[in-house]
Amino acid sequence: MKRVFHNITVWFRDLTAVFCNEWRIIVHDMGALIFFLALPLLYPVVYTLIYNTEVVDKVPVAIIDDCRSEMSRQFVRDASAAPGIDVVGYAANLNEARRWMNEDKVYGILRIPSDYASDIETGQQATIEFYADMSLLLRYRALLAAVTDLQIKQTADITMNRVNMTGLETTGMAKMPIDSHHSFLGDPEQGFASFVMPGIVILILQQSMLLGISLIGGTSRERRMRNGGIDPEMIDSASASASVWGKALCYFVLYIPLTMYVTTCIPEMFDLPHYGSPVQYLPFMVPMLFASAFLGQALLPLMKERESAFLIVVFTSVVVLFAAGLTWPRYAMNGFWTWFSNLVPATWGVEGFIRINSNAATLAESARPFIAMWILTGVYFLCAWWALKWIRVRSLLKAKA
Amino acid sequence: MSLGLKATMSREVGRLATRRIYLFSMVLVPVLMTLFFVYLLAPGLPLRIPSAVVDLDHSPMSRTITRSLNATELIDITQKLESYDEALEATRKGDIFGFFVIPANFQSDALAGRTPTLEYFTNMTYFVPGTLAYKGFKTIAVGTTGSMVRTTLVDAGVDPSLVGSLIQPIAIDSHPIGNPWTNYSYYLSPSFIAGVFALMIMLVTTFSIATEIKYGTSPQWLSTAKNRISVALAGKLIPQFVVWTVSAMFMLAMLYGYRHFPMNGSMWALVAATLLFIVGCQAMGVLFVSIVPNPRLSMTLAALFGILSFSFVGFSFPVQSMYGAVAIFSWLMPVRYYFLIYINEALNGIPLYYSRWYYVALILFPFVCSALVGRLKKACLKPVYVP
Repeated sequence: MKRVFHNITVWFRDLTAVFCNEWRIIVHDMGALIFFLALPLLYPVVYTLIYNTEVVDKVPVAIIDDCRSEMSRQFVRDASAAPGIDVVGYAANLNEARRWMNEDKVYGILRIPSDYASDIETGQQATIEFYADMSLLLRYRALLAAVTDLQIKQTADITMNRVNMTGLETTGMAKMPIDSHHSFLGDPEQGFASFVMPGIVILILQQSMLLGISLIGGTSRERRMRNGGIDPEMIDSASASASVWGKALCYFVLYIPLTMYVTTCIPEMFDLPHYGSPVQYLPFMVPMLFASAFLGQALLPLMKERESAFLIVVFTSVVVLFAAGLTWPRYAMNGFWTWFSNLVPATWGVEGFIRINSNAATLAESARPFIAMWILTGVYFLCAWWALKWIRVRSLLKAKA
Repeated sequence: MSLGLKATMSREVGRLATRRIYLFSMVLVPVLMTLFFVYLLAPGLPLRIPSAVVDLDHSPMSRTITRSLNATELIDITQKLESYDEALEATRKGDIFGFFVIPANFQSDALAGRTPTLEYFTNMTYFVPGTLAYKGFKTIAVGTTGSMVRTTLVDAGVDPSLVGSLIQPIAIDSHPIGNPWTNYSYYLSPSFIAGVFALMIMLVTTFSIATEIKYGTSPQWLSTAKNRISVALAGKLIPQFVVWTVSAMFMLAMLYGYRHFPMNGSMWALVAATLLFIVGCQAMGVLFVSIVPNPRLSMTLAALFGILSFSFVGFSFPVQSMYGAVAIFSWLMPVRYYFLIYINEALNGIPLYYSRWYYVALILFPFVCSALVGRLKKACLKPVYVP
């Protein structure tokens, strides 16, 4: 019994020693500080500034007016008034308009056919030709929405006139038999920064932590190479489990203020959607930080030198961005990629945080990602524990060889 | 002099071959990332968005609407719920991306001319599914209204052949040029893969030069090149260029050969742009390591530029819509010009003439970036490692 108590005491003493030692190493390592502090502090600001204009509007458009009537001019006036469209000029024909498009002067062409006015006056359906540049989907989407609204407005104007002419007004047909109404949830203004930032900040937390851990781990491996397999800066006498936990706790404590900053200050500063309560999302972030801290340590066998972090970790940010389903939703991934993305802590962190932050979900409603992150914490703890044992043994063997 | 170049090149081949990190960064990462994007985005559009219908009417008409919702390729009705609150909860849980509400007494109100309102909600926290669900819902809502108007007008004695133009007097004949399928992969795959190449090329270039300084081998590197920094750099970067070219050719073969991505212009123009793009990124790497001849700081610069370029370059959010001061940065990245050439050549297939300045810009990168190599030479002669 006494022995058990003694072991527990030793374990906690080791843990405390590793925690303090890790803190000392971080504070004295400029590179680690850049990853752990500068990156989470500055990247969210830079990213938000890139996307802060939020919406694509005033897309330049060329008009080809083959009709040249009062009605076609009315159409162009309505087009100019639409917030999504910026009429830059009249082109003589399609060739000229296409040339403007090739020169990136316009991204859309509206062509009014010569029989436009006569069709409308005789009750025929008139057709507007719409050519869109497809070089960016977001711009195409903005333009298409603007053109559709323009069509709906013209339709409403013309239909009212016609229905009135047929004398059906008295039967109540002047108003539509069914109305429809839509609402956008979570990101009511459909802004790009409002959509992408809540996810990006979580990715930044995980990736900056992985980078920092890899940098410290790679540096330690170099010291082991130079000192016969032992790192004099690390406490190798501590058991692997106490050591892994001590470091994880150190990173966790370091990331508490940073997590508050990216989840609370950033949305407030830039007026992004922020409907969730800190009582819900801060506890949610706990397993996300632990899972990342253990994942970083589990990857350390790959980090053979200080600079390995750059070559091995940086590009994974792109993979993680897609795994999180921000660009390509997870329900549309095939079995393999779904399985793969399940292994990334930030996938669940992004999913849960977005629901809580933008849709005002509760922690209970985010139970699935929350539990998944705790499972990953357990799995990656075991991997990290094994990784540290491997590194210690391997370095000694290599030094002897 | 040519002897120096040869010796430096064979020295570099030896370095590339003996360290696995080079194989990993220069071949494995580009190849795997190409496969990642091509296969992840293979469907082109994330169709069949998980959605719910809240039918409070339970009438033949409301059931028809539910059926037609499920019949569109955009919507997959995974849940039939009984209240607005349930639907909101399912949205917050992430089970659905939108829902369509048919109010109580919908059929009787519609037939009696009391104008009931169909409501639909889409969760815009995930942009693509939100947008597509909105499109699917709107199509059904407008279609339902249209067919209702048609029935009523015909009943009221309007000539059926005129009803079409009465409901929709103006039609839009849409021509989305280059990508009529609105296939997402055609944007995301080539641009993001190019972004990964740019990132890795800049990182490996800085890494390979800065580690010479770190391990104190840089004086030997320079002496192999007969103390000429230009020869030293050429000897180091030409073997790397060959490896990058092999990886890039795999990428091009995968996209345009195997997966049949649109190639409406000249393949040779794109190949030429790819080679210039590789050189441009290598030049950026040289610039970073010349500014700060230290492995960590120069690689921090490369990583910073590489990662931010995914956003600055405007693969998804147009540069023209960014703040002016932010948009300037997009022009400092080789990948921006490569992306524009891809759009012009592959997607739109317009004459090479319109891309001329993009090629010029790519050609200029090596010249501009070599401005500080004198500084690099000094650092290489007296290597100091700052961790």
